[in-house]
Amino acid sequence: MSARIIRPAAVSDAPPLVVLHGISRNAGTLARLFASEAERTGRTIIVPHFSSEKWPNFQRPSKAARPDLALLALLDLVAAEYPDISGPVDIFGHSGGAQLAHRLAMLYPHRVAALHLAAAGWYCLPDDRMPYPFGLAPGKDAFSAKMLRQNNTALRDFLHIPTWVYVGTEDVMRDDALRKTPSLDAGQGLHRRARAHTYVDVLNAAASSAGISPRACLIELTGCDHDVVRAITQNNLAVRVLEARGPRI
Amino acid sequence: MTLSDTLDQAKWTFSTRRVDRARVAATDTNFAAAKPGDLILAHVDKLGQHQRVQLPSGRPSLIFPGDAVVMACGARYAPDQFEGIAEIDPAGADLLAGGGCIGRMVARNSRIKPATRLVPAGRLLDGGGRAVNLSQFALSPRPAAPRPPVIGILGTSMNSGKTLATARLVLGLRRAGFRVGAIKATGTGAFGDFNEYSDSGAQYVGDFTDAGMVTTYLEPLDRIKAATETLIAEAGHRGCDIVVMEVADGLLQRETAAIIADPWFAGLISGLVFACGDAVAAAGGVSHLSRLGLVPDALTGLVSCSPMASAEAQAATGLTVLTKEDLSDPAEATGFALRAGLGRREAA
Repeated sequence: MSARIIRPAAVSDAPPLVVLHGISRNAGTLARLFASEAERTGRTIIVPHFSSEKWPNFQRPSKAARPDLALLALLDLVAAEYPDISGPVDIFGHSGGAQLAHRLAMLYPHRVAALHLAAAGWYCLPDDRMPYPFGLAPGKDAFSAKMLRQNNTALRDFLHIPTWVYVGTEDVMRDDALRKTPSLDAGQGLHRRARAHTYVDVLNAAASSAGISPRACLIELTGCDHDVVRAITQNNLAVRVLEARGPRI
Repeated sequence: MTLSDTLDQAKWTFSTRRVDRARVAATDTNFAAAKPGDLILAHVDKLGQHQRVQLPSGRPSLIFPGDAVVMACGARYAPDQFEGIAEIDPAGADLLAGGGCIGRMVARNSRIKPATRLVPAGRLLDGGGRAVNLSQFALSPRPAAPRPPVIGILGTSMNSGKTLATARLVLGLRRAGFRVGAIKATGTGAFGDFNEYSDSGAQYVGDFTDAGMVTTYLEPLDRIKAATETLIAEAGHRGCDIVVMEVADGLLQRETAAIIADPWFAGLISGLVFACGDAVAAAGGVSHLSRLGLVPDALTGLVSCSPMASAEAQAATGLTVLTKEDLSDPAEATGFALRAGLGRREAA
């Protein structure tokens, strides 16, 4: 995995932002679109690139691939180079990158200051209504059991993370890239917009039932479909991410 | 040859690593007065089980008859090797541990060679004529400070997998982003475990030798507890977020048994991993720990090498069996840290 590190001339105290691409693997485009925000806000921005050759599967930790380990190693490298940003990071992910972002936070909540999830195709719901990896009910293999145990251990800490979920009001297509199964459709919704609503509802309900103030917020991008470039250029998504404010702990 | 020359040319062993050699001004041959931790200059007489000693640099050194070696007088408890006591017979002594422990062997595992024999040459003294002892170079107890949480590692016996478990959990925690201290609370000074912890990324590594003991065998429980507290506090002062602490030998070994039976231990640890060789050992060990009010978070050790033995152990104890790969996985290690209270965000 390679990564672009965008260091502003004047660095602020705010956590760095990790920007995770989706299955289009458009890390270069995202880096270009977020670069001006780095300068404007003083935030270091880290844009990893999971190549299709080495990372055919990067959206979630699996038996086949552990993108979480690659990201942790990247953060360690960056912290070694820039000790001023060695603490928890904010993470933005689009589509498949949003999948990886929230799964990373579920495993390592201590490494994540805030989550920004844009238009994930589906989620790991933080309760037991669906089996892992769709939720936290028992899955069907040993790896799922291991992940389930680890996710459950970290769940309480995860539920404290301020989370913004972004989705376009027009992101309602059941396109080829969208995972579609009867159980997923029934459990999370028919399209990304519906699934984003479901996720925020379930996340906040899980927090409430754990005695934690709900920290998830849904932001709909008016007129936007699944195109992240349009979301950034027409709906100010990068600005919204960098300026999002919530209860940081 | 002057004493200074002799000491310069001698092989100082790992257990003497904290000693200020400039403190040595003389020697005597009052070996009857030797106490645990006193430094002894001896010459190799006849090679036996140990054909090397461990140097403070972390390198093993071959030894040959006639070599001068500086060690600490001490006892040893190692069921796979020797039992020894901290006595120096002027006519000849035993190399009880390659890390630098000289004493008198009283029992030997039948599968190993007799101890390497040593001829004591002198007890090292300072300028005031006092014996130079490891305790004089021990870490000073730190004032009270936020103490990092401690994950304890226990095992059924020597070679059950405790050190590997300690090192791998250190690795996993480090990969997860924590600054980790690794401590060996009991045992006999040697660099093997020390180096393994260090190689795994521990930010601070300490053992009882850093607290002034060459071995904890036959030492008073209160001294061992105080040493352990000192090491944990030192890890905290060195910036460690969390400590992984190995307690040597098996649950029934003298000092280990006393430590885990003391309510202090349950209050000290925020997590517990139990290393065992097979499913029966797992069941027996977990049952024994349960009687002491201790419940491991997970099993590991040699049992984890076999999926079938792991399944048996899990069925018998209800505990998860973790392999060395599991322990070094940051996702698994994070669980230990979070259960120990690290990373906990402010409750709403």
